[in-house]
Amino acid sequence: MKAEAAQASVSARPRSRRILGGSDLAIRLASVLVVLGTWEFLGPSLNPGILKPPSAILAAFPVLIQNGELQLALGQSLRVYVLGMAIALVVGLVLGIASGRARVLYNVIDPWVSALYSIPAVALIPVIGVALGYTGDLPRIATVALFGVFPILINTQQGVRNVDPGLLEVARAFSSSERRLWKDVVVPSALPFILAGVRLAIGRGLIGMIVAEFLIGLAGLGYLIIVYQNTFRIDRMFVPVIVVAVIGIALMGFVQFIEGRVAPWLRREQQ
Amino acid sequence: MVSARISVEHVTKRFASGAVTVFEDLDLAVRDGEALCILGPSGCGKTTLLRCMHGLAGLDGGRIVVDGVEVRAPSRKVAMVFQHFGLMPWKRVRENVAYGLELARLPRATIEERVERYIDMVGLRGFERAYPYALSGGMQQRVGLARALAVEPDILLMDEPFGSLDALTREVLQNELLRIYQEHPRTMVFITHSIEEAIALGDRVVVLSARPARVREILAVDIPRPRTVVSVIASPRFVDLRDRCWRLLRKEAA
Repeated sequence: MKAEAAQASVSARPRSRRILGGSDLAIRLASVLVVLGTWEFLGPSLNPGILKPPSAILAAFPVLIQNGELQLALGQSLRVYVLGMAIALVVGLVLGIASGRARVLYNVIDPWVSALYSIPAVALIPVIGVALGYTGDLPRIATVALFGVFPILINTQQGVRNVDPGLLEVARAFSSSERRLWKDVVVPSALPFILAGVRLAIGRGLIGMIVAEFLIGLAGLGYLIIVYQNTFRIDRMFVPVIVVAVIGIALMGFVQFIEGRVAPWLRREQQ
Repeated sequence: MVSARISVEHVTKRFASGAVTVFEDLDLAVRDGEALCILGPSGCGKTTLLRCMHGLAGLDGGRIVVDGVEVRAPSRKVAMVFQHFGLMPWKRVRENVAYGLELARLPRATIEERVERYIDMVGLRGFERAYPYALSGGMQQRVGLARALAVEPDILLMDEPFGSLDALTREVLQNELLRIYQEHPRTMVFITHSIEEAIALGDRVVVLSARPARVREILAVDIPRPRTVVSVIASPRFVDLRDRCWRLLRKEAA
């Protein structure tokens, strides 16, 4: 579990993006343009029914906005996502901190955390359906929370457990109170772990949201994807897919921004 | 008899559930206002002894008395400088220096004034807003020193504070410490495994034996202050003191 958290904090941190040179940027841009260009000009000739060109997908955006489908689905999805992630965040942080601090609690929850984290979360969605029903927001909120909670919980736990013992001794040597110990040492030292967990959870939560919309509760962006897949409107099908991607990228960027604000000492330390 | 500030009485400390005896029946008195250097072979428990003096580690026998009170937990009258510096990476220099003062809940104005004063004293002016990662090892330990001095402790405990620094930086900081001690003498216990350092900084040098550690000998360093590292090494007494320390330590290391 330790290795997992460590791996998570490494893999979820594409630091190199911060130090892009001009030539890196040009290559990236060229890569995107070449793929989209090939798709645009070659795709339709291969299979005109299925491979709709990027221009057609772009044209589908205003249609779905005008008939209100996109806003409706986006609203449904975001409501579920925000509530689910809020639960994941609260439960993950509280259980992570408490179990990182108290050995008894760690031993109580660790078997369950290990087991639930090893099972592909998708496999548990039918259980959620049976337990919470297939209608309303609740089963989908629960799915998002289930997908998002473990990276946050495990990383928080490891962050709290991995506090530098030298710093704990410094705090004791200066007669720190327990409250100040958390403020000065434990929380700041766990923060990079927690933020890495949140970054992982953002992506996993989006997966949970879409899969829940596929499998339970006919609503949201996931449901929109299914509807247009079933009606072979591939151009329209791509619209919610792109919206989900944009949400994911925007949230990642937001967390990195937050990290820069609350943990400015990390930027240099990791280079 | 000069009054003892710290009195170590028959202390015993064991590790690994009693399998390893770090020191046994050890006696030592630290006099008021003196700089006492504790020298010993590596692994002899110098650091453990210092931690016990501050109440960071418990004893398995005997007692340590500071100013007439038996040590049970860290006291605000005592401050410690660590070999690993122990700076908070998330605090800027001035916040690190202010750390002990904030924990002591001193008034804001007092904290400001002391932080300024001790940042000046250790030569950190201009680096107040830097994070530790941006500082060299020597500069980081200046922060560690300022943090300890800022609480204006009666007793300063230093655990091989310059042990991880390069030779040049170490000498610079040794001179700084000699100057600070000259300006504000206070009881100081300094752990080191460097004979030169012990002689340069100490009024007395305690040589410990190998584990289980006992006081092998106490040497009075009769080299006048004010000192610098260079003036100590140039002193006619230095070679003799160094040779005596060497002989004592060599016997222990064998």
